[in-house]
Amino acid sequence: MTRVASLGARARRLPLVGFALLYTVVTGGPLLWVASMSLRTTAEIFKDPYGFPSPAHWEKFADAWFKSNYHSYFWNSTIVVVCAVALVTVIGAMAAHCLARYAFRGNRLVRFLILSGLILPPQLLILALFQILLDIDLYNTLTGLIIVYVATHIAVTVYILEGFFAQIPQDLFDAARMDGYSDFEIFWRVTVPIGAPAIFTAVTLNFIVLWNEFLFAVVLLTDDDKRTLPLGIMHFTGSHQLDVGMAATGLVIAILPVVLLYAFFSETMIKGMTAGAVR
Amino acid sequence: MKGRDAVPRAIDARRASLGILVAFLAPALVVYAGFTVYPVLRTFYNAFHTITPRSVVEFAGLANFTTLLFADPVFWKAVINTALFTAVATAIDVVGGLLLALCLFARAPLAPLLRVVWFTPVLMSYVVVGILWVWIFDYDWGLANATLRFLGLGAWEQSWLGQPSTALWSVLAAHEWKWLGFNMIVFLAALHALPSEVLGAAELDNCGWFAKLVYVIAPMLKRTIVNLTVLSFIGKMMVFDLIWVMTGGGPLWSTETVSTYVYKRAFEWNTFDLGYPSAIAVLWFVIILAFVALMTRLLRPRDRLEF
Repeated sequence: MTRVASLGARARRLPLVGFALLYTVVTGGPLLWVASMSLRTTAEIFKDPYGFPSPAHWEKFADAWFKSNYHSYFWNSTIVVVCAVALVTVIGAMAAHCLARYAFRGNRLVRFLILSGLILPPQLLILALFQILLDIDLYNTLTGLIIVYVATHIAVTVYILEGFFAQIPQDLFDAARMDGYSDFEIFWRVTVPIGAPAIFTAVTLNFIVLWNEFLFAVVLLTDDDKRTLPLGIMHFTGSHQLDVGMAATGLVIAILPVVLLYAFFSETMIKGMTAGAVR
Repeated sequence: MKGRDAVPRAIDARRASLGILVAFLAPALVVYAGFTVYPVLRTFYNAFHTITPRSVVEFAGLANFTTLLFADPVFWKAVINTALFTAVATAIDVVGGLLLALCLFARAPLAPLLRVVWFTPVLMSYVVVGILWVWIFDYDWGLANATLRFLGLGAWEQSWLGQPSTALWSVLAAHEWKWLGFNMIVFLAALHALPSEVLGAAELDNCGWFAKLVYVIAPMLKRTIVNLTVLSFIGKMMVFDLIWVMTGGGPLWSTETVSTYVYKRAFEWNTFDLGYPSAIAVLWFVIILAFVALMTRLLRPRDRLEF
């Protein structure tokens, strides 16, 4: 009896398993395909687009890295993203602490002003930002892009941090004040350590989003040696349009760091990326 | 000392002097005001002006808006494309994300691993996803046509991105490939937060899985569904990166969206006028805002479910 029931249950799960398998192939298949192409020459690919990479042409990675500007794209992206994330985290955390902790006139107004940044489309900013950066001589500079990234990500940073900071029990702050902590010490020695998980989440989210950012970068940067990675990938594949094998190698170089990080920190990255939507 | 009022001001941790407040808020507010608030205001100002090279500004009144609404067929083409893309992509995002989440929630084998694998594309940049999918849609050696040939459906082979009738839907497929995992994770988190007794009770009542989904699970997830619908809607109305990388708006404006058109009018067409594209951006922002207000109003759960 139980045996029949469990067989029936298994049969009913068959579509479920089939669907899960199919979707896994749809997600993973294209990635494996591009990985195999990255190790094959264009001639091999055109002969058989789906063959196994044998012999594997590992030297293509060295070629792509050294014969193009990939190292400079990587370096530019690293500088821009690290600086922007560090700055936005510090000033965002200070603002979030202030909004969550202190009762003052205008608190709600400031909060509304900052959080309304969450729904601003980049298209509404980009044309004027182009003019403004030209006016102050920061157009086509990494500094200009960093400032723009910080400004456009203050809203989401404050949104994530303020929600978490507000839940820290008030007693802790009362006690700290009684012990004679200054306002800045309270921020640094109470809010920051206790709010560390939320800060970490905000850092992860901003890091992923900015590492992939395209629209602001494509409008605000023009020189090849200033390009960030997304612009660089596009430039590289554009200039290797007929050499698909090399373009695939370039694409894998861009994907690899993300996938490697994801393999080790998958939970952190999933949590960070969905921080604004999961509550 | 009784109650908050009795606490001396200097010790009350809820209060701070103006100097302290300014010190905490000023860095964020200055950057935000200079590089977010001011650009928005300047865009609104630009929308009513013509801005020629070397920043010669001429007042144009409502001329930009009247041209836009009554004499610009490309703008209307872009509006229709964006509306189609938004409607279909939002629906797939929400329904597909929920189905994937249910699939894992029903304990498909290896569910914890699949959850991580299915989320991978979300972390990639649109540039990478776009280039990958241009190859998938390649007529001669792309995966799409190869799969059709493999299944014996060679007659359905298409030049997916090369013809106006399929280009928009091909970009949409790439978009969903990248983004479905995001909605899946959000739904999965909501599902795990549901009270297990309710689902168990439905099980005992011998409720079929479809009935369970429609009458038990969906109503309890209403808040998540509304949030994700609004979030998806805003994202799709602004879609730019993927279209720019895959088709650049072509062929024959079949994938032109409002965002790509703004970019083209500002930086690609040699019209040298930032006023007109600003007017498009302003109008579109007002429309997005109106729709979001309408949706949150209509879809807000009237009676909150108690559980």
